[in-house]
Order: sequence, then C-alpha cells, then structure tokens
Amino acid sequence: MSDRKLPRLLQSPAVLLLLVWMLIPLGMTLYFSFIRYVLNSLRRPEWTSPSLSNWRGFGNYEFVLKSKDFLFAIQNSLFIVCSILILTVILGVLIAVLINKTFPGQGIVRVLLISPFFVMPAVNAVLWINMILDPVLGLQGIAIGSINDLIDGLRAAPGVGWFFSLWPELEPISFRATQTSAYAVIIMVTWQWTPFAVLIFMTSLQSEDQQQKEAAVLDGASPWSQFRFLTLPHLARPIAIVVMIQAIFHLSLYAEIEIVSRGTGNKNLPYLIGEFANNNIGAASATGIFAVILANIVAFFLLRMIGKTLME
Amino acid sequence: MGRIQLKNVTKSFGETQVIPPLDLTIEDGEFAVFVGPSGCGKSTLLRMIAGLEDLTSGNIEIDGDVATEVPPSQRGLAMVFQSYALYPHMTVRKNIGFPLRMAKMEQAEIDQRVETAAKSLNLMDYLERKPADLSGGQRQRVAIGRAIVREPAAFLFDEPLSNLDAALRVGMRLEIGELHERLKTTMIYVTHDQVEAMTMANKIVVLRAGVIEQVGSPLELYHKPQNEFVAGFIGSPKMNFVKGPEAEKYGAATIGIRPEHTDVSMTEGAWKGRVGVAEHLGSDTFIHVHDTGLADMLTVRVTGDISVKHGDTIYLTPQADQIHKFDTQGLRL
Repeated sequence: MSDRKLPRLLQSPAVLLLLVWMLIPLGMTLYFSFIRYVLNSLRRPEWTSPSLSNWRGFGNYEFVLKSKDFLFAIQNSLFIVCSILILTVILGVLIAVLINKTFPGQGIVRVLLISPFFVMPAVNAVLWINMILDPVLGLQGIAIGSINDLIDGLRAAPGVGWFFSLWPELEPISFRATQTSAYAVIIMVTWQWTPFAVLIFMTSLQSEDQQQKEAAVLDGASPWSQFRFLTLPHLARPIAIVVMIQAIFHLSLYAEIEIVSRGTGNKNLPYLIGEFANNNIGAASATGIFAVILANIVAFFLLRMIGKTLME
Repeated sequence: MGRIQLKNVTKSFGETQVIPPLDLTIEDGEFAVFVGPSGCGKSTLLRMIAGLEDLTSGNIEIDGDVATEVPPSQRGLAMVFQSYALYPHMTVRKNIGFPLRMAKMEQAEIDQRVETAAKSLNLMDYLERKPADLSGGQRQRVAIGRAIVREPAAFLFDEPLSNLDAALRVGMRLEIGELHERLKTTMIYVTHDQVEAMTMANKIVVLRAGVIEQVGSPLELYHKPQNEFVAGFIGSPKMNFVKGPEAEKYGAATIGIRPEHTDVSMTEGAWKGRVGVAEHLGSDTFIHVHDTGLADMLTVRVTGDISVKHGDTIYLTPQADQIHKFDTQGLRL
C-alpha cells in the first residue's frame, strides 16, 4: 500500500490548508455566536472583548429569531434568488436560441449581449437606480412624463379627445420605496446575469447534434416540437449548472440592496448580518450560522435536482 | 408505392457545381444503392431526395407528383442516418413512437405500432432503455424501427453501417436485405463500400464527381462495366489494368482483367512475374505479382491454398473471354 501513501502525503498540505481556511472562520463564528460580544458599550465595557466569561448560550440565537427583520430577511432572500433564477433562465434560453442562428453582425451582437456581465455590481446598481429607474430623472420618469404629455395633448384633440380623457394620468414607480425596492434589485441583477446564462446555453446549443434535428424534421416535428423535445432536454444540464452557480452568488447579494434603499423594506440575510455587525458581533455571528444553514438547505435541493438531470 | 424520379436535377454550393444535370428513375420496390468514392455527391443526392437540401434546378417526382417544393415531413420518406440520430433523452419506445406522436396519432395505436416494429427487430427487451445504454447494432435497429413505424413510401439509408464493426456489419446487411424482402418498399441506400452495394442492391448507381457513371444490376456492372472507373470500383480485389503493346494486341488502349479470371502456373504462361506478398485466406489466396513489365503490380486470385514464397517466379495467363477492353477515353469497346 506504499504506492498509495505517497500521493496522500503529497496531497495533505493542500487538504490541511483548505481545512484550516474553512474551519477557523467557521469556528470563530460559532464561538462569537455563543458569547456576548459588542464593539462598543459604555455600560458593559467587559463585553467589548471576546471572552468565554461572557458566555450567553443560545441567547444570541433567540435574540436574532425574535428580531422583527429575521423572518422577513429569509423570505426576501428566497424571493429575490428564485425570481432572478426564473427570469435569467427563461430569458437566457430564449436569447440563446435566438442568436444561435447565423445572421449578419452576429459577432458584435454576441459581444454586446455578454457585456453587462462585466459591469461591477455596485456600478450596475447606481446606473439602474439613478439613470433608468429614477421616477423623475431616470429613463422611467422621462418616459412616463412624455407619455402623459402626449395623452394630455390628445385629450384636446377633436373627435378622439373624449376617448383619451378616459385614460388615467400615469404615475411613475418609485423603486426606492419599501414595497418596490426588492423588484429594483431583481431587475438589475437579472439584467446583469442573463448574459451569463446566455453564454452557457449558447455553448451548449452549439454542441447540439444537427442530424438529430434533421431526423426530427423528417419525423414531422414542428419548430416548437424540436425545441420542446430536443433542445430543451439538451439544455437540462446547463440549466442546472446556471441555477446552482447563480443561487450561490445571489444568496449573498449586498451591494445592490445597499445602494437601492439601504435595506429599507428589502433585506436579505447578508444585509441583516451587516446591520448587526455595526455593533453586535454576537448577533451577527448567530445570523451567519443561520445563513450557513439556509445555504445548505438550498444546496441540498439543488444538488438533488442536478443529480437527477445528470442521471437522465 | 414509391417510384422516385429525378429529372435534370442539379446542385451547386455557391459557385461550385457538385451535381451536374442528372436524371435517374428508381422503380417502386427497388433496392437502389448509390455507390462511389467519398465526395462524389451521393449523400447530397440522398439528402436532396429527402428534402434536407434544396435543389439548385430540376425536379424530384415521387409517384408522379412533383415533390421539389414539398416539405421533408410531407414526402412520406423515412431516413436512417449514419450517426443513427436517436433522441438521447427518450427511451427506445419513445424514439420509435416519435414520428407517430408528431403525427398526433392516438396513444393506443402508437403503442401497438411500436410494439409490432420492436418485435420484428428483436427490440422488445430494450423498449424502456435509453440509446446510451444500447450497443451499436441495437441503436441501428432502433433507427430502422423509427423509420418502419411511419410506413413510408421509401426508405433512405445514409451509410448506416459505417459505424459498426466488421462482423456486425455483415449481420446488419442481411437484416436490411431481409427487411426489404419482407416490406417490398423502395429503398435507397448510400455507401462507399462496393461489397455492400453488390450484396444488397437490385440496382446500383455508380457515381463519380456528381455524374452517374453506370446504372445496372450488380452482375451487369461486374460483367459489363461501361468504363474503366466502374470496372475498377466494382469487384474485390480490384481489376488489373494493362496498357501499352500488350493491350494493343487485343486492339484496345487498356485491357482489364479481374484477379479471379487469371490462370496461374509455376512453369509456363503468357506473362512472367515475381511473387510479392501472398495473402492466404484459406478459401482463396491473393497473390500480388511484380516485375511483369505490364503494370506496377498485378493481383491474382487462386482458389484454395497454393504454396508460393516471396520472390518465386510465377506465370499468369488471362482467360481470353474475360478480358475487358477500353479505348483511350476509358470507355468500353
């Protein structure tokens, strides 16, 4: 068995390093989550340094569970992640199928389609919320303003004026508001990540067997049937990959939420951790442990889903 | 019914004309084989009949009706592809039933037809498997099953056996021949292998560079090749060609003599040569003869076994009534 020992010996430094890398932060988070640890306290200065004598048991967890934002943050995390996944996969498949055909200017169109992916998240959020979604100065405000002006003009027109006077004045939507800030985040992240889905699906479509398509044409399959029975099953694996990678990334969205509304009406778990970490490290650590649990639940379902598609 | 006529059909890819004007009739119930070296346009021709390639000019008629503008699925033709083109995500049952499902047939009727086809192709035990779990021969049979269930006017085969190993190829050749006997449906079969053409066809169409060199039954092509190309392409091992004074004796520019039509002697004969490689197959021996002064190498076939060694002197005598004579254009005299 000596021929097996050497490879294991050579692997061990890397394995050890990875273990340390993972275990130390996790261990520290666990430790902090069970003690009272704040950054600044005039009343109880002994809590400002981590120590076992400040042991709080599950107190931090209780505190987090009882805080009014916790359940909302979990719900909102799942709502944002699932919405982005559904939108990017549907848009990604449609666009990939569309640009898979040869047409003049194909190369430029592909580069343009991919480019949103290279914009930094914070820049993306600033651009969208100020230049596009802003109800007064953004494209949205300008567009709705001009539509209202146009309808106003038509109301005065003879003959058809009565018809347009039945139309209501359009109100621009304020995406920084409590009820809508999550939608703004979903819109901007979908815009940024659809190119990623397109890129993955496009490479997969290029490996699709053309003789199968020809066989399907001879078998009398319509373009829709070819898509439904050949292309979509062919894309099952890349879809699973896109879903998994995006779920990992979007569970930890932060910059967009911060920039759109500073968490007003729109928090996810990482944002909640950030808020606690302003002072209460113990509560932030406990929330971190909840986030780890949530990520593991999501990963468990995703891996099962991917396992199924790989088996097929 | 499945009478297919090609009238003045041409095909160009951009500036290059791959098929100059071509006429061909395939009668109902015939087993026609398109054979020729790779790049001769035989697959393109088949794909044009199927409707997968457009015609540059000319017409295709199926049972007397012009089918040139008819979409592929409406032509009533079924095709078996070289790569089988099975749908990888579907079971064998769904693969075979797919054309019927696309035709919106009732599920009960589909099941019944699929099972009939599967029985006749020995696929009953594999109906719930996916193509990836099947062997090459089984996949080929699934592809044929998918063609059969449609009850097409004609079957088109595009080099269906070239991905199989030699032993399986012989078996599938027999199965396809058997299938044709049973169904009596028109079949058009494309191959580059003249053995497949000779063993399966009623009618062989020999193509070179998009031009039909000869159309005929296998034995017609064997006994009366119209030109040097057909003579060299049909028959294995290849026909020997002799040019020069020896050919002029027979009043031809080139004479051709098949390996099996040459008598061999160790003591006397018309042509003297030196034995090169001798291939002993048991039933036959192929001897490659050098230094005859007639051609680089002549091949002869001796029935049974003969003990010759590399370097032996050998005498060959062509059988006078089996000599093919060609003029300077390569055409049969």
